[in-house]
Amino acid sequence: MADIPTPFPQPDRDTAKFWEAQNEHRLVFQKCSQCGSIRYLVGPLCPECHSFEHEWAESSGRGTIYSFTTVRHQTHPAFVPPYTVLLVEMEEGPRLVAQLRAPEGTEVVIGAAVHVEWEDHEKQSLPVFELDE
Amino acid sequence: MTIRNKAAIVGIGQTEFSKDSGRSTLHMALESILEALADAGLEPKDVDGVVKMGANDDLYEIDLLRSLNLPNLRFFNEVPHGGGAACGTIASATAAVVSGMAGVVITFRSLNERSERRFGVSTIGGGMTHWRQYYMPHGLVTPAQWVAIFGQRYLHEYGYDTSALGHVSVLTRKHAATNPHAMMYERPVTLEDHQNSRWISEPLRLLDCCLDTDGACAVIVVSAEKAKQLKSTPAYIAAAAQGTGSRAEMMTSYQRESLARLEESEATAAVLYPLAELEPKDIDVAEIYDPFTPMVLMQLEAYGFAERGKSPELFRNGKLELDGETPMNTHGGHLGEGYLHGFGHIVEGVRQIRGTAVNQVPNVKTCLVTSGVGVPTSAMILSKEPY
Ligand SMILES: [Zn+2]
Repeated sequence: MADIPTPFPQPDRDTAKFWEAQNEHRLVFQKCSQCGSIRYLVGPLCPECHSFEHEWAESSGRGTIYSFTTVRHQTHPAFVPPYTVLLVEMEEGPRLVAQLRAPEGTEVVIGAAVHVEWEDHEKQSLPVFELDE
Repeated sequence: MTIRNKAAIVGIGQTEFSKDSGRSTLHMALESILEALADAGLEPKDVDGVVKMGANDDLYEIDLLRSLNLPNLRFFNEVPHGGGAACGTIASATAAVVSGMAGVVITFRSLNERSERRFGVSTIGGGMTHWRQYYMPHGLVTPAQWVAIFGQRYLHEYGYDTSALGHVSVLTRKHAATNPHAMMYERPVTLEDHQNSRWISEPLRLLDCCLDTDGACAVIVVSAEKAKQLKSTPAYIAAAAQGTGSRAEMMTSYQRESLARLEESEATAAVLYPLAELEPKDIDVAEIYDPFTPMVLMQLEAYGFAERGKSPELFRNGKLELDGETPMNTHGGHLGEGYLHGFGHIVEGVRQIRGTAVNQVPNVKTCLVTSGVGVPTSAMILSKEPY
């Protein structure tokens, strides 16, 4: 497989605070100052009321599995199968993509409760999910 | 003012589909364009419009224009959003010829998607910008993996196992098996073959994924009036439309209410059928964009052939077979013929209307063709006669 570097988020002027918080092991979402809606993906404008004003609200880090895939065919040198990527519906509403950290063979069920843990990488700390006890 | 039946596809061209074309995408595009022009009885000097799909190729339109040497060119544009653009190029060409901005418009697609630039293998790394920053660092890096998240949710919400996906694979491969142009000619598969094929990204197996392909297709669009003066049998464009959905991303629109349906396709259908003054029951043949099997199920529902969650029954009841109510992907589609970003579907739709397809359905009067899904999309309805 070709020599391709590991992907990492490249923060921009819109998303920098989102990623900076993750380097401090905090998951944050934008909250509209005008209508109160949580917006994700990160962006400059509230799609609901078109206000630019927002604050950053910290997530509880808890959610439930909304969907998932277990990757079994390697397509990138940085990601060696098998691994499971979850789409988790967070308590605050947004659905977040991150890998499941669990022993291989752990059964994954839609609706199962999970919580965020953190893994530090060279360029950026990233969330992973663990199943609740 | 309506575009209904005011334009027609009068020429089609298509190279062989293979794993290694041995030539450039520019070379293949030119071959297919010259073939389409000859099919219509036209020459490059007659062309005054070119519409290109915008994404994921290494073909520079300026090189194409210089090669063709088009002295009368006055209309050119590019339609965005990957495979979602295929019928969008026809919609744009239609707008041009109906409004009089152009008279003869080329649209085309050319890919060395197997030998040079495989979409199914991630070739990028390092700093990820835009939507990619949220997915690529977590190992969600290819279309199959992005679509698996939708497919898993569809199966979960409607209580199906993966055999519901397998039926799509079996049907398309059956049609490809009798199409000599298809990469999977004479290679049908069974449901057991599907279930035994290796996992790619659960719930998707190898046989749920389209074929990496080299090839090119081109079509020529003119006004209905001009079509009458040409030698070929026109496929009238009863309607062509584009549509998108809420919180749209490129194949990862995971923030929207439901991942078990395709908002973009529903929005397109809501424009397309009224424009054509037709209903799903009026469609004689359906060429449905099939990158991955779950996307076929959700489109059949979006375009009104089944209620939400019920499309797997269409396969079990034989309704999409060549002798069924609405024969689907008569050429074998992306899963069996080859992946030309929706243009194989367009060319096959024209052949079905002309009556010249290898798996010809008798008495075809209308054909639905859809384009790339999970992205802003497009579709069209072709008609044998203007009405
Ligand atoms: Zn707001």
